[in-house]
Amino acid sequence: MKTAAERPPLVRSGDRVIAGVCGGLAAHLGWPVKFVRLGMIVAALAGGAGLVFYGWLWTMVPTADEDAQRRAPRPASPIAPAVSAPEVPPDGAQTAQAASGEGAGTARRRPWHPPQRGRDRTIPYGKEVLLGVGLLLLAAILIARQLGVEVPLGTLIPVAAILGGAAIAWMQLDETRRAHLVDRTKADQAGGWVRLLAGLALVMAGVLVMVSGAGSWEQTWLALLASVTVLGGVGLVLLPWGLKFWKDFEAERAGRIRETERAEIAAHLHDSVLQTLALIQRRAGSEQDVVRLARAQERELRTWLFGDTNRDAGLLAERIRAAAAEVEDTHGHAVDVVCVGDAPLSERHEALVQAAREAMLNAVRHGGGAVSVYLECSDRGAEVFVKDRGPGFDPDAVPADRMGVRESIIGRMQRHGGTAVILSDEDGTEVRLSLPAPQGHDEPEPAKPEPRNGDHA
Amino acid sequence: MTEQNPAADARTTARVVIVDDHAIFRSGLRADLADTIDVVGEAGSVDQAVEVISRELPDVVLLDVHLPGGLGGGGREVLNRCAPLLGQVRFLALSVSDAASDVVSVIRAGARGYVTKTISGEEISAAVHRVAGGDAVFSPRLAGFVLDAFGTAVEDIADDELDRLSARELEVMRLIARGYSYKEVAKELFISIKTVETHVSAVLRKLQLSNRYELSRWAAERRLL
Repeated sequence: MKTAAERPPLVRSGDRVIAGVCGGLAAHLGWPVKFVRLGMIVAALAGGAGLVFYGWLWTMVPTADEDAQRRAPRPASPIAPAVSAPEVPPDGAQTAQAASGEGAGTARRRPWHPPQRGRDRTIPYGKEVLLGVGLLLLAAILIARQLGVEVPLGTLIPVAAILGGAAIAWMQLDETRRAHLVDRTKADQAGGWVRLLAGLALVMAGVLVMVSGAGSWEQTWLALLASVTVLGGVGLVLLPWGLKFWKDFEAERAGRIRETERAEIAAHLHDSVLQTLALIQRRAGSEQDVVRLARAQERELRTWLFGDTNRDAGLLAERIRAAAAEVEDTHGHAVDVVCVGDAPLSERHEALVQAAREAMLNAVRHGGGAVSVYLECSDRGAEVFVKDRGPGFDPDAVPADRMGVRESIIGRMQRHGGTAVILSDEDGTEVRLSLPAPQGHDEPEPAKPEPRNGDHA
Repeated sequence: MTEQNPAADARTTARVVIVDDHAIFRSGLRADLADTIDVVGEAGSVDQAVEVISRELPDVVLLDVHLPGGLGGGGREVLNRCAPLLGQVRFLALSVSDAASDVVSVIRAGARGYVTKTISGEEISAAVHRVAGGDAVFSPRLAGFVLDAFGTAVEDIADDELDRLSARELEVMRLIARGYSYKEVAKELFISIKTVETHVSAVLRKLQLSNRYELSRWAAERRLL
């Protein structure tokens, strides 16, 4: 099969009539589906060649889902892949150990094939042999018929039915065996059962027809009864075994999931904490660097550990936190953020975030001590307070050309219908930003530096 | 506060037990604490902690939230098992985590305050004395949680005294959340530090006792209860 690099991979299409073969082929070749289907039908009429080709592709070509699973990008961490998708983990602990060893040692990610490849190769190989035998048989029959030899179709069709049914059932089993596709198997459970039952029914029908030799219905019913009885008995005997097998299988799967989670944690710690610790050791001389690294790492780990995944990243509190984190990173100075309430981000809120960011920058540059940021959102609007413990300054004495305070904070807030108040004394400076809710009836106060004790919280 | 612990005055020495499973942290903290604080014991696990606390009966226990041993309940388990001592021994929770679940659970179990481990030695000494004096220590973040839980709106009708924060308490909480020290809060609101402490203690009591619907819902949303 020649596959030009720029072509989409040959997969069975989800938009399908029978098995999605024609659709996939069309997408792969870049031809219209109609023509491919038409061609297939014409080929099928020409001595069944199309049917054979179709069957071959059906078996050999993976569905789009399967293909995606196979090519799924491995987790971004260098060590997670080693454990996160083990086909047959020899032993959990051992794998994890190997993984962390690999992560610490050879480190960076390398393309991930080894076990997967091996496994993928073995199963299609078996399929290929089976299929080849089947095809040869088919060809032999066709040739024989062509040469005028009478072929006992009455026997062959049931045999084909049996083989077909078994193939369908086996394909199903094969799929369930891919334990790591948990969700997929689950999603398809109903379909899987239907397929399995259809396969069994076909096999049984074939067997019956063959055994009874297309005899009378009476015979057929007797045979059916007998086979059901036998099957029931066998089922009864095998049931405990089956259950036990299933339980083991489930346990193993759960264990594997746990293992994957553990590996993910290990990967995260390796990527973040260990790297930071290494950096800290190298920069031990510079206090500022160490503090910056430690803070950044702490923040990252906190988000990872305690982060509320339900929370939307597009919200105001998140943006304020991000701004604080950015300031903290660039200046290596701690900025503590406390948020009460949250609000969806509007354009006005964006202005509030920018003003707050500017205030934080000033606090970090000119102030000192801990910088505290407090965000409060309610129906009445949003307020941000940025407090530092620096020497303080006289807001009125700030030269007019200093854009930072006048333009970026006060001006920006006023333009968006808010207020900015800067209070400063020898104990520190506090910037109070207030953005009333748009329809809010309480008028924003005029933005003038208030006397020290004007509390407007 | 009504009852005053004799050893509580900031000028006298406070007897302290440090409970933390990291020996390095314990020794570091011991070194950081002011001279007015006498470390009478250390513990590294839940069981050790309960034993040392019942033996020493310190003024203040600096309690790490995450502790090994016991039933796995960490600091909260220590608090629960020391519940009969809560009248004479005060607990100040100390943690690297400022997750709402950790903070609120130890406070509701009886801790008189909550500080993060990044706090300076000076601040923690002050906090110890404050807790020894029967007052509460609120970090900005804890104040933030309180505001989050009780809501920031001032309600006119206080039908259930216990379940609402008064306007003044809200103001105090808000200032603490903004990073104000008690002294600064007092200055800002024209009240004495003692009054600030009273307000904070009242809030702490409400936080500990409240069954308020909002608090439960808030906690439920964060899967704390």
